[in-house]
Amino acid sequence: MKTFLYNVGYFHRETWRIVKSNLLSNLFSVLGTGLILFLFGMVATGTLIGNELLAKLQQEAEISAYFSETMDESVALLLVDEIKEIEGVWNARLVGEEESRSQMEDLLGEEAGILELFEENPFAAFIEIRIHLDSMDTVLNEVDNLNGIEYVRDNRAVLERLQGIIGGLKIIGTLIILAVGITTLIILSHMIRQGIYNNREQINTLRLLGAPGSFIGFPFVMVGLLLTLLGGALATILINVLINSGYSSIDGALTFIPLPSQQGLMMNISILIIAVSLVLGLLGSLFGLSSIGKNR
Amino acid sequence: MIRANGVYLRYPDGTEALKDINLHIKPGEIVYITGPSGSGKTSLLKLLLGMEFATLGSLEVMGMPMVKGKTASINKLRRKIGPVFQEFKLIDGRTAFENVMMGMRFLGMPPRKMKDEAKNALIKVGLEEKMASKVENLSWGQQQRVAIARAIARKPALILADEPTGNLDQENAMNILKILHNVKDINTTVLITTHATHLLDGIEDANFLHVDNGSIRVEGKGW
Repeated sequence: MKTFLYNVGYFHRETWRIVKSNLLSNLFSVLGTGLILFLFGMVATGTLIGNELLAKLQQEAEISAYFSETMDESVALLLVDEIKEIEGVWNARLVGEEESRSQMEDLLGEEAGILELFEENPFAAFIEIRIHLDSMDTVLNEVDNLNGIEYVRDNRAVLERLQGIIGGLKIIGTLIILAVGITTLIILSHMIRQGIYNNREQINTLRLLGAPGSFIGFPFVMVGLLLTLLGGALATILINVLINSGYSSIDGALTFIPLPSQQGLMMNISILIIAVSLVLGLLGSLFGLSSIGKNR
Repeated sequence: MIRANGVYLRYPDGTEALKDINLHIKPGEIVYITGPSGSGKTSLLKLLLGMEFATLGSLEVMGMPMVKGKTASINKLRRKIGPVFQEFKLIDGRTAFENVMMGMRFLGMPPRKMKDEAKNALIKVGLEEKMASKVENLSWGQQQRVAIARAIARKPALILADEPTGNLDQENAMNILKILHNVKDINTTVLITTHATHLLDGIEDANFLHVDNGSIRVEGKGW
C-alpha cells in the first residue's frame, strides 16, 4: 500500500504513456466500447420501460364479476366486501349500469354513437375487481364460487400476451447484455495484451529487478478502466440524447403509455452504464494481465 | 550469501552451460568471475538471479533455495539484488534519472529518498550532466553507467554485474570497478564477470574464479 501511495504520480504518468503509445488503437477501442455500451444502454432502457409498463399493467389487472340482475344493490355491496377479503384482491367496487355504459362510451370514442341505437341501457352493473396478476387463477376460482355471481370475465389473455412479449424482450436483452459483456472483455483484454506486448522489454526488466506483479500490472488496469470509462461516458451521452429525443417525440401523443419519469430513467441508465463499464474495465484488464505470469 | 553444491545447468537444446559448480561466497566479498566468451559466466549469474534454475545440484542465495516455481520469493530476493546486465536492460524513452528511479519504485522508499539516492548514484558514476537525457541518446558507455547507477542506488545486499566494463575505455572501466569496490563499505557482496583480465592487475581486495567450458578451473585470492 505504501509503495502505491509513494508512486501515485508514476502510475498516473505510466497510464498516460501507455495510452499515448498506441493512441489511435486506444481511441478506436473507446469508440467501439462506447458503441457497444450504447447498445447495452438501449437494451437496458427498453427493459426498464418494459418493467415499468408491466408493473403498471399488473396493477391494473382486473376482472369483472357479473351478478344476477335481480340482486339488490345492498346485497351486491355485501358481495363486494366479501370479494375484498379474498387473498390476491387489492380493490373491488361496484360499477353501476350508467357507469358501465359510460365506460363503454369512453372505450368506443367516436364510435360511441352506436349506443344511441339502444332504447334501454344494454349494460349491466358488475363488480370491478383489481387483483395481483400472480393470484389470478385462485381469485377467479373463488369469485366464481361465490353465491350470487353468475359470470366472471377476465383480461388474462391480454395480460399473458403482454407478459410473454416482455419475457421475450428480457431474454433478448439478457443475450445482448451477455454479448456486450463478452465483446467488451475481448476488446479490452486484447488492448491490454497489446499494451503488454508493446512494453514487454520494460516489463521483463522490472521483473528482473524484483517488481511485484501488482506494481507492473497496475498501470495496465488503470488503462483498462480509463478506456471503458471513456467508452461508458460516450455511451451515457448518446443514450441520454436518445431518451431525451424519444420522450420529446412522444410527449403528449401517447399519454396512455405509463412511461417512467425521464429524469429518473436517465439517471438510472447513466449509473448503470458507468457501473457496467467499471466492472468490465476491471475484468478485461485482469484477463489481459493474466499474460504477465512468467518469472523470467 | 551464496552457496552452490554440485550445480549443473543444461539448456533445453542440450548445451551444458555449467558443470559441477561448488561455491561459498560470504557477505561483503568481492568476487571476479573471469573466463572467455561462452565459458558460462553469464549462465552462473542467471542462476543467481533466478532467470535459470539448476538442472542438478543445489543453490542458495541469501539463504533462499533457488528452485523453480517460487515466483513470489524469487521476486522478493531480486529486490535485494542489484543486477547490471550485459545488454543494460534500460527503459527507452526515459531519462537516465527515471531509469535509476525505476529500480527503486517498488522497494517502499519515500519519493524524496528515492530521488536523493538516484541523484547520488548518477553522480557517483559521473553522469550528473546527463541525468535528464533520454537513455537512447546516451553512448554505450554512458548507458552502462546508468545501469550501474540503477544497481547501486538500490543499496542491494548483492550486486551481480555482467561485464560492467565491457563497453568502457580503460579509464572509465577502472572508475566503474572502483565504484563497485566501494559498495563493499556497506557490506554488499559483489560478483563481477569480465573477460578483460588486464583490468584486474593489482586488484588485491577480491577473490577470483576462472570459469572455462562451464567449470570453475581456478579459484583464488589476488591474481
